[in-house]
Amino acid sequence: MTSTSVITLRQVRKNYGALEVLKGINLEAREGEVISLIGSSGSGKSTLLRCINLLETCHDGVIEFCGEPVRWQGSGVTRQPADKAQVIRMRTQLSMVFQQFNLWAHMTILGNVIEAPVTVLGRDRNAAVEEALALLDKVGIADKAEAYPAQLSGGQQQRAAIARALAMKPKALLFDEPTSALDPELEQEVVKVIQQLAAEGRTMVLVTHDMKLAHDVSSHVIFLNQGVVEEEGPPDAVFGSPKTDRLRQFLHATSPAVAGA
Amino acid sequence: MFEFCVEPSQLQGLTWLSCYLTTGKHMAFYTSFGTVLLLLALTAPTALLFGFCGAVASRSAIAPLRWIGRTYVAMVRGVPDIVFFLFVPIALDQGFEYIRHMALCPEVTEPIRRGNDFVVCTAAKLPLNADPQWMHETYGFLLAVLSFAIVFGAFAGNTLRGAFEAVPKAQIETAQAYGMTSRQLFWRILLPQMWIYALPGLSNLWAILTKATPLLFLLGVEDIVYWARELGSMKTSAFSYPHPNWQLWYFLGLLVFYLLLTWVSDRAFARLMARFNLGQGRTGSDTAAAGVGR
Repeated sequence: MTSTSVITLRQVRKNYGALEVLKGINLEAREGEVISLIGSSGSGKSTLLRCINLLETCHDGVIEFCGEPVRWQGSGVTRQPADKAQVIRMRTQLSMVFQQFNLWAHMTILGNVIEAPVTVLGRDRNAAVEEALALLDKVGIADKAEAYPAQLSGGQQQRAAIARALAMKPKALLFDEPTSALDPELEQEVVKVIQQLAAEGRTMVLVTHDMKLAHDVSSHVIFLNQGVVEEEGPPDAVFGSPKTDRLRQFLHATSPAVAGA
Repeated sequence: MFEFCVEPSQLQGLTWLSCYLTTGKHMAFYTSFGTVLLLLALTAPTALLFGFCGAVASRSAIAPLRWIGRTYVAMVRGVPDIVFFLFVPIALDQGFEYIRHMALCPEVTEPIRRGNDFVVCTAAKLPLNADPQWMHETYGFLLAVLSFAIVFGAFAGNTLRGAFEAVPKAQIETAQAYGMTSRQLFWRILLPQMWIYALPGLSNLWAILTKATPLLFLLGVEDIVYWARELGSMKTSAFSYPHPNWQLWYFLGLLVFYLLLTWVSDRAFARLMARFNLGQGRTGSDTAAAGVGR
């Protein structure tokens, strides 16, 4: 495995008013790595993910993408990315998959998948359609290309959203609790797709409540607690022999089966 | 109209009626239905355009644009329609003539406002005194269209602004996450999704606009209400076709016309709505069920 760093965060901090939600987070995702962020609700893991693709602005710290640091203007709570073009360029190389799928409701599934490649990247429409159909086939919903999002089940919508993310040919994929809005049976069809992507060696950052998924696909697991990295390491170490009390309690409360393994 | 109509007093029954209904004035009456439809056909898109600009301006990140947009909407919404219809055409007319006066007659030094009079040089008149009658009528009609569009544009602007804000934030955020610029986001996501939230309000507005067309009369355009009153009133034997007061029948005719018009537009809006619903979180079965009902 090569060790080119795709995403690097150093001492990232963010406040919501007086509340400090991220208290100096370090994270590195090298090419081909799958980083899982686990932790209870409110631990800051989704906020951290959203800071990576600049949907939220962190107030201090460094974000590097393929070695290129985000340029900022201002400081503290007024800090903003300085270069809009840079933000857009980074976002096109970091595809996000959302908890609530967020497929664009007025477009067909095919329309959703080709939208950003054609509009943002300016790719040829016919080529984009061809690639999109192949991706929909890969996630198992080739027959739904002409359907609208509202006509699909949650699991199908999330798989379509993953196809949309892949269509950008991103350097890394960001997953924000991709299975949390799904019934257990629908969850599995999405889990399979994520496992397949991990096996292909894609770089991913995954926020999840599904400890089994985190255990199975991750190369590195980060346990966040109240805005700090409480514990991190390879999945076998984190899930098999947790060192901190907080992590032990958390694992016991969420998935006793995995914690015992 | 017909050859046998030369001597109306000699006619009886249906023949009389066929001659009566084809007099020149009746033809003008029928044409005025076209005037009303034309007014609607021109006003609706113009008002929508004004409303669109107003809505976009009032949501603009540029403060002066935002003030202009909000002032426009607030001002028109706060003033009674009828006051506006009396004021705007005169103000527009005088405004145009004032500009032309400044441009065309710079040598005239007397003030334009003299007490209650508004005097511009002959060359600045709109239309020119020498212009044919149809130009005067067209000018009046266009002023009416503009007035309607300004008033209804403000209401449409408010509806559209609400609709823009009703588009779920998650849809916008996703577009940002995929690298769209704010312009791409507006045209590709916000605008297409906004209509579903705007349509109920716009259909309401269309119904109000339809029913407001008799205000044309106030603006000096001879519309269907003017002619129904004129033709329906009692005609003494001094007229070619004397008859008692038939206004009731004429107004019944208008009633049918307006009902038909609103019925047709309701159906059109229902179809539009069904089309937009398809992609808006309402499943195909809802749309299909709605279709079966009609």
